Amino acid sequence: MLTRLAGGRVIDPAHQRDGIGDVWIRDGRIVESPPAPAAADATYDASGKIVMAGGIDIHSHIAGSNVNTARLLLPERHAMTGGWATFATGCLYAKMGFTTVVEPAVAPHYALHAHLELADIPIIDKAMLAVLGNDDFLFGLMHKRESAAAMRDYVAWTLATTRGLGIKVINAGGAEAFKSNVRAFSLDDVVPHYGMTSRAIVKALQQAVHELGVPHPLHVHCNNLGLAGNAETALATIAAAEGLPLHLAHLQFYGYGTEGKRGFSSAAALLAEAVNATKSVTIDVGQVMFGPTVTISSDVLRQFNARNAARPRKWVIFDGDANGGGVVPYEYRADDFYNAVQWAAGLELFLLINDPWRVFFTTDHPNGAPFTTYPDILALLMDRDRRAEWIAKLPPEAVALTTLPSIAREYTLGEIATMTRAAPARLLGLADRGHLAPGAVADIAVYAEQADRAAMFRDAALVFKDGDLVVRDGEVTSIRYGRALTVRPDFDQAIARRMRAYYDERYGISPDVMAVPDGAIGRPDPFELVPCAS
Amino acid sequence: MGDAWISGKPATLQAACAEAARLLGASRFPLIAGLGTDMAGARAAITLARRLGAAVDHMHSAALLKDLDVMRDAGWMVTTPGETRVRADCLLLVGTALTSAWLELPRRLLAPGTEAARRVVWLCPGREVARSLAKDTHVNAHAHVEVVGGDEADLPIVLAALRARVAGRPIGKTPVPQDAIDALAGNLQSARFGVAIWSAASGIDALAIEMLCGLVKDLNAKTRFSGLPLPPGDNAAGVLEACGWTTGYPVRTSLRAETDALHDPWRFDASRLVDSGEADCVLWISAYRPAAPSWTRDVATIALSSPDTRFRRPAKVQIAVGRPGGDHDSVEHVAATGALGTMVAAAPSAAVSVAQVISDITAALPAGA
Repeated sequence: MLTRLAGGRVIDPAHQRDGIGDVWIRDGRIVESPPAPAAADATYDASGKIVMAGGIDIHSHIAGSNVNTARLLLPERHAMTGGWATFATGCLYAKMGFTTVVEPAVAPHYALHAHLELADIPIIDKAMLAVLGNDDFLFGLMHKRESAAAMRDYVAWTLATTRGLGIKVINAGGAEAFKSNVRAFSLDDVVPHYGMTSRAIVKALQQAVHELGVPHPLHVHCNNLGLAGNAETALATIAAAEGLPLHLAHLQFYGYGTEGKRGFSSAAALLAEAVNATKSVTIDVGQVMFGPTVTISSDVLRQFNARNAARPRKWVIFDGDANGGGVVPYEYRADDFYNAVQWAAGLELFLLINDPWRVFFTTDHPNGAPFTTYPDILALLMDRDRRAEWIAKLPPEAVALTTLPSIAREYTLGEIATMTRAAPARLLGLADRGHLAPGAVADIAVYAEQADRAAMFRDAALVFKDGDLVVRDGEVTSIRYGRALTVRPDFDQAIARRMRAYYDERYGISPDVMAVPDGAIGRPDPFELVPCAS
Repeated sequence: MGDAWISGKPATLQAACAEAARLLGASRFPLIAGLGTDMAGARAAITLARRLGAAVDHMHSAALLKDLDVMRDAGWMVTTPGETRVRADCLLLVGTALTSAWLELPRRLLAPGTEAARRVVWLCPGREVARSLAKDTHVNAHAHVEVVGGDEADLPIVLAALRARVAGRPIGKTPVPQDAIDALAGNLQSARFGVAIWSAASGIDALAIEMLCGLVKDLNAKTRFSGLPLPPGDNAAGVLEACGWTTGYPVRTSLRAETDALHDPWRFDASRLVDSGEADCVLWISAYRPAAPSWTRDVATIALSSPDTRFRRPAKVQIAVGRPGGDHDSVEHVAATGALGTMVAAAPSAAVSVAQVISDITAALPAGA
């Protein structure tokens, strides 16, 4: 079947395309225009509309045991994202024109659980990042000064076992330190008993991921999240990239200085400057928006320290086999000094980092805000007058400690398409996504051009997933189930035998129990392999 | 060998599924209960419940919700069986039914070599366990277990006294001498990483669990301590997770269209729904063992269970299903890891799985049902 999207404004920054034209679909892929346009089996009129590739979200906590704990902890917030169970998650993303979403924090022992949840999210494709950096085996490798090859094998074995798309490290060594009753842990602090610094863990994982040819660089959740003055930690981590690729997650939560009478200010401008100057580093923002939400993080130390801020006053702290996690409900308020600084710091990062290929669009869902706020954030980025209206409602003493009012920049539609489509596909190594050239997967979002950008991005006019129409005028029209994207770098099989012996000795179990076989997922063709660089 | 029956008479699987679909399709308010099944069976059952507008409940909901009510009212700090094994230098075993909730507990947590110099205290284990510990039997062979308190009934007041002493507050008379309470309070505070272990399937009540979880939180002001709730069997913990991610709520939830769910622990209690006559058709699932429902009222029942299940009232339709992890591969909650895990069939057989039977029933539903 040949489908034609006719006469829309096609914005495809991966190919410097921005103009009125057609997009053609056959068998789930984008194809060249046929010589005779009359040949289309179906034609959709896209005139007056914007045509982009489907959106890609690189960091959104949509599945896994910590997310599910949040659901069970907060039945009263069920309606937070229009019902935040798996079915609604897929539908709500699709309505906004997003077609691929990455769950960024899965402990290897919970990978099977996470994949079962991901499998029940309809329409979109999914992926997950496996979390290392607070695990005894890795500490053991480093403590015994084993080779870089041993580290690579372990990382590759973890990716193969968990069926992940990449590796994330979360407060490297911090969860382990917390188990030894350490209550603060920074980049050059030493993990008790094992003796290596947080920095050394990040560097070892960064190197292993890079050498394995995994497309997505190491995804780093830095130390000291949320604390006044933590911009220093982020700057030190950016400097630690040392020319190799490194992705820093939800940088807004590290954008704080110590100015002002409360000792809390935005240092986002400083961070943006460092990111602009450090070409091997990418970041996502983790924008805060005002309203009730829940924070879900594998940074168990940070969540424990934040427990008394819980609204309502209940929280869960989980000491896991490695990272664990914490679930702390929270409400960001526009009249709260600290929350106002956080909101402004996020927008400063978006607006002051000048390369839309290196700044990624996230709220760290649901930590900064539910993903359903994306349309409002896009509108703020594209309209300085709209920002001024919001700023006018914030505590002036908070605004004074940011540079936001002075920033005139407005994102163009092309920059939005880069940040939410072309760049994420490139960052994750998804060569056939995030663009509209022949050969690409036909994941396409069509928006009705209108002055209210929030309304425009909230309800896509048309969304195609693998060439199938799934959304029309903001309503889901058909349900299908996507795949999970994975990588599988080569490794020496000796590591599998070694892991078997390790699990038997330490836990008295076989690592097979945590495996994620295709047959366990309960959907046909549940996985799609993304190639690694050789 | 027969594996399906309609009104007690052998039938083909196809005919039994068709009859089950007819009964469920004609029902005013169907109920899916028992739910002793693996993750595939649970996901299939929830999908069917949405199609039918049915309520879902698990045979161990009372225990599940005891823990969950503490968690969602007050929060808690918990850890894994693995972390307890490799790190805990102090185990506080609380109440009864621990080794029945987790048969491998002594081998995994109390065996020599799991942690040097681990202190093990058992609070109110009940007279029987206390006597057997004194006689140095099974459990005690692995590690020295110190017993504080006797009857399970003493647990609420002993826990309250312990929490008060940890907080430095005075206490009145308790069934345990204050010296023993004070000594234990001191030992908990001097632990480096302690773990309190309990089973909600025992007689412990929700207030005592909340007291215990509050004690754990208090201990974390100065040291590290965590909790390890032992879930009930029949994959109750796994079914709870599946219900959570597919509906946003735990079991005892009524489902309709894809995003429509109503959770009410009283209203959607399976026994109450049957005894009150509100539910007029039940799909009963017990794939791990021949468990029968506890209610006595006659209600149209479709049972997916082992063929030797003894029902108080005969089921209208009975279909023999395989045991997850026995007859067929399964994904289910694994006690040793505290997570969902893959279980390879121990003795693969041709017995059908719950997920397969539900798929067949769903396919046979009348249009519009």
